[in-house]
Order: sequence, then structure tokens, then C-alpha cells
Amino acid sequence: MELLVCVKQVPDDSVSVKLGADGQPDLKDITPVVNAFDTYALEMATRFKEANGGTVSVVTVGDLETVTPSLRSCLSVGADSAYDVNETEGCVNGLIAAAAQKAGSFDVIFVGSESTDKASMEVGARVSNKLGLPLVTNILALEPADGGLKIKQETEDGYRTILCPTPCVVTVVKPDYEPRYPSIKSKLAARKMPIGEFKAADLGVEACGTHKVETVKISAPAKRQAGIKIIEKEKEVAVARAMDMLAERKLV
Amino acid sequence: MEKQGILVYLECADGHIVKVSLEAMNAAQKLAAMTGKKIGAVLVNSASAAAEAAANGADFVLAVNAGDYNAEAYAAMLAQLMADYEPAYMLVGSTRDGKDIAARAAAAQGAGLITDAFDLNEEGWVRSIYGGSLMATMKAEGPVVVTVRSGSFGKPELKEGASAPVETVEAPIIKIRATVREAVKELGEAVNLEDAEVIVAGGRGLGSAENFKLVEELAEVLGGVVGASRPAIEDGWVSRDHQVGQSGKIVAPKLYIAVGISGAIQHVSGMSGSGYIVAINKDEDAPIFEVADCGIVANCLDVLPLMIEEIKKRKA
Repeated sequence: MELLVCVKQVPDDSVSVKLGADGQPDLKDITPVVNAFDTYALEMATRFKEANGGTVSVVTVGDLETVTPSLRSCLSVGADSAYDVNETEGCVNGLIAAAAQKAGSFDVIFVGSESTDKASMEVGARVSNKLGLPLVTNILALEPADGGLKIKQETEDGYRTILCPTPCVVTVVKPDYEPRYPSIKSKLAARKMPIGEFKAADLGVEACGTHKVETVKISAPAKRQAGIKIIEKEKEVAVARAMDMLAERKLV
Repeated sequence: MEKQGILVYLECADGHIVKVSLEAMNAAQKLAAMTGKKIGAVLVNSASAAAEAAANGADFVLAVNAGDYNAEAYAAMLAQLMADYEPAYMLVGSTRDGKDIAARAAAAQGAGLITDAFDLNEEGWVRSIYGGSLMATMKAEGPVVVTVRSGSFGKPELKEGASAPVETVEAPIIKIRATVREAVKELGEAVNLEDAEVIVAGGRGLGSAENFKLVEELAEVLGGVVGASRPAIEDGWVSRDHQVGQSGKIVAPKLYIAVGISGAIQHVSGMSGSGYIVAINKDEDAPIFEVADCGIVANCLDVLPLMIEEIKKRKA
């Protein structure tokens, strides 16, 4: 099957983002990485390819030079080809949907269930809507079945088994395995692979008008004051001190 | 019904409105107080909960007859309600399924979407970005679907004896493509972190499922509820409904004890509203100490048994 994974480059989510003097997130010293949930999606797609044959492509939206390291990283861990929609403005979902149609004829389009930066959790729904494809969200696993796919979906209290025809869109949550690491060989190979480039005009996507939802303010959450740190050689003493503090506040 | 109102999709379980949906009703009341809009409760196959919806602030109830849950079908139903009633706001509790159908309905209607709002003020809806390290206040142009995060708005004050007119609506019949073959429940009793007065939460520092039992024991002697950070859940030491933080719940107990939790922003953003925070971690520089009122720098495996003993003694 032909598989497409939609990826987003985000600031490393292990770093706490501070508010800049201009009231915007200060991202300049934070390493850009591929969104963690998209790496799960890419790993799932790659495993599916290894088990069932086919190819894996990745697509992103953003300034080509800026996103190239992320696309190369995807190419080193399973992707066979990579595309960038070289635009920094416009409706991302519309661009992704149009690129998906232009780049090939895909049976399954994978999307991370959320991004670690904005976490709007809407790309799967918007892209599947634009393409008129069925959508299965929060998936943990998929396999071919009855000419379509048998999908395991994570739910609030367990899971569902869903049968879905292809082509379709799926959004991926964290499965019980980690994405693979690249090898030196796969890294070198990825460097030589071409990256396809689209512009909005090639895709026939007109610049979109005003956004339906606008961010009016970005702020930092209230900071808590650090309290007392107990460092004692004797654990009994440390615990006794902590217990006294709790008792004083009638918490135990 | 007048248009441009507020619709709230209410999930029910065993004939009752689930907690996060009640929080969505509270958000709706806040919004109604600011805008003067009327609140319509959407109940699917749960007309019997109409009185409960009214007591929680519904001005009217749309009782929808639909089939069993299917995301495509339920999203089509929400989209149809949006098309017919033209609400300015469609509120949905941020459960997995709630967020799923909210996004689909917004896409189908070309409406805006604000995911996981935890507050509302005159400027707009407030939600976490960058794992909770910052907050964004968002405003919509035109109709918007808003999902309300669990543990954020609290439940409305009950209006005992309130009633609301009920209109029966048939869900649209659509051709369903993705079909549910089986739904399996793996988790037991619902974990009530939102209402807990005491939470004892464990993280990676515990090291194993075996050691995690100490967290459960401490929670038990304190009459509290067990929480966890993401690594403890990913390693399978405890089920994911115990998760506190970015992909879990927002909590604000009187006492929060963080055991072996380093204090990643994704966790801290979910618990920093707690009354009193105790942190136990052997790494003196762990960021959890920056938010703790009382920090014990020690191996949690040494400290927990002593604490459990001590509390048992004090209770006796």
C-alpha cells in the first residue's frame, strides 16, 4: 500500500517555552524536532510497509530550508520520499490535503493525534474532510483486512476494533513501542535523497482568508513559589520534618 | 429556538451526564452570563437525563434519537444540529470521543475549533500550548466548537427542580464507512482525580510496577487517589486514567504528593493549582522542587515506607 505521513516540525517538547519580551513564545534557542506523535505515526507506517509492502512518503508545510533537517530525519527512519509545501502562510490543512493529492495516490494517510506545540488535534479531521476520506482517530495498530483495514483505536476506558475501507486517514497515539533510531548508513543515505517541493500555486490552493480562530494573547502561567527543601542524612529525620509540616497545616 | 445560542453536547453513562460534560455546562453558564445567550443541552438516546440537564443550567433540551456510538454518525449529527440551529458556540467535553466528533463537526461545518479550553474570560477561551509552559487566549470569528478540558471548569451549582422544554430530534442517516466491530473496556472503576482532596502521584523514579505499589499504599492510608505522570503510564505500572498533566487531567487537591516525578512542564501544568505540594525526589535539581511547598531530597523508596508507617501511627 502507498502510505503518507503528515509531519510537523515543532520546538523540542522537553524544553519549557518562555514568553519573550514581545509577548510571543521565545523559541530561538530551542532545537526544532519532528513532533513526537508524528514520529509514532511514521514508525507505525514503516512497520506496516515492512509487513505488507508499499512505500512511505512524508509531507510537511514550512520554509524548505528550515524543515529540511526534519524531513531528512524522517528519511533516515523509514520514509522513502519526502515533500515540503514551501509556504509559511496559509491554511496548513488545505495545503496538506492538496499535497496529498498531488504527491501520489495514497491508501492510508497517517497523522500524529496531536502536536506537542499547539495540540489543536484537528489536522486529521480537516484533512479527511477536505479529501472526503473516512477517518479513524487515536489508533494503536492497523493491519490489512477484508480489502480495507482492521484498526485498534484507543478509547477512554479501553479500545475499539474498527473496520475501515481505504483510502482513509488515521491519527496515531503512542503505541507500546518506540520509534526506531537511524543508523549511520541510513543517515548518509537520507542525505542524498531528493526532497520534493510544492508551492501553494502548484497545488491550486488559494491563500486563505482570515483564520476562524485567532490567538489574542499568549501568557505565562502563574509561577508557584518554591518552598522548603529537606536534605537530611537520616531518612527518619527528613520524614519527621515533612510530617510536622503537613501536620501544621492539618493535611494529615 | 433562537439562533446564535450555545449548544452543549452531553455525554451520558448509565443514564447520567458524565462529569466533564457537567463542566462543559458550567463553561456554558459562564458564557451565557457574559453574552446573554440561551443554553441548549444535546442529549443522545438519553432523554431521561433532561431534568438533570435543566438542573445544570439548560434552557432547553434537544433529545436526539441516534444509533450506537460511531464517530462518523455522531459527528454528522452534531454538524446537522449546527446547520439547523446555527449556534454561535458548540461545547463538548474533552473526552477522547468528544474531541474526535468535535473536530469532525467543525471541519464539516467549516467552523473554528478550540481544543481543551480550561478557562473563559472577557478576552476569550484560554488553553495550554507548548505542553503547558504557556497559555493562549483564543477568540473565534463565526461559529466555533470548543472542547472543555476535564478538571477545569468544575460542576455547575444545581438548580433543584428546574425544568426545560424538550424537543425530540432524529439523527441524520448517513452512509457509515468506518464501522465499530468491537468495543472493549479495559479499565475498571472511573478514577476521580478531579474531586480528590489528596492525590499521591508516582513517576519514573519509582523504577518498577512493584515499587509503584508504595504509591498506592500511601494514597490509601491518606484516603487519597493515585495519580501518575506519563512515564509511569507508558511503562504500564498504572492505567492511563490516572494520568495528571498535559494529556491527562488538571487537578487541584488540597494535598498533592509527587513521588519520583521529575517535574516536566507537561506534568506540572496539570497539578500546579494544588493547595500544598510535597515532592520526593533523589535529584536535588529536579524541577518538581521549584513548585513544591515541601521537598524531600531522598530516594523515594526509602521515604515512602517511613511515611506510610508514620501516618498509620498518627491515625491510630
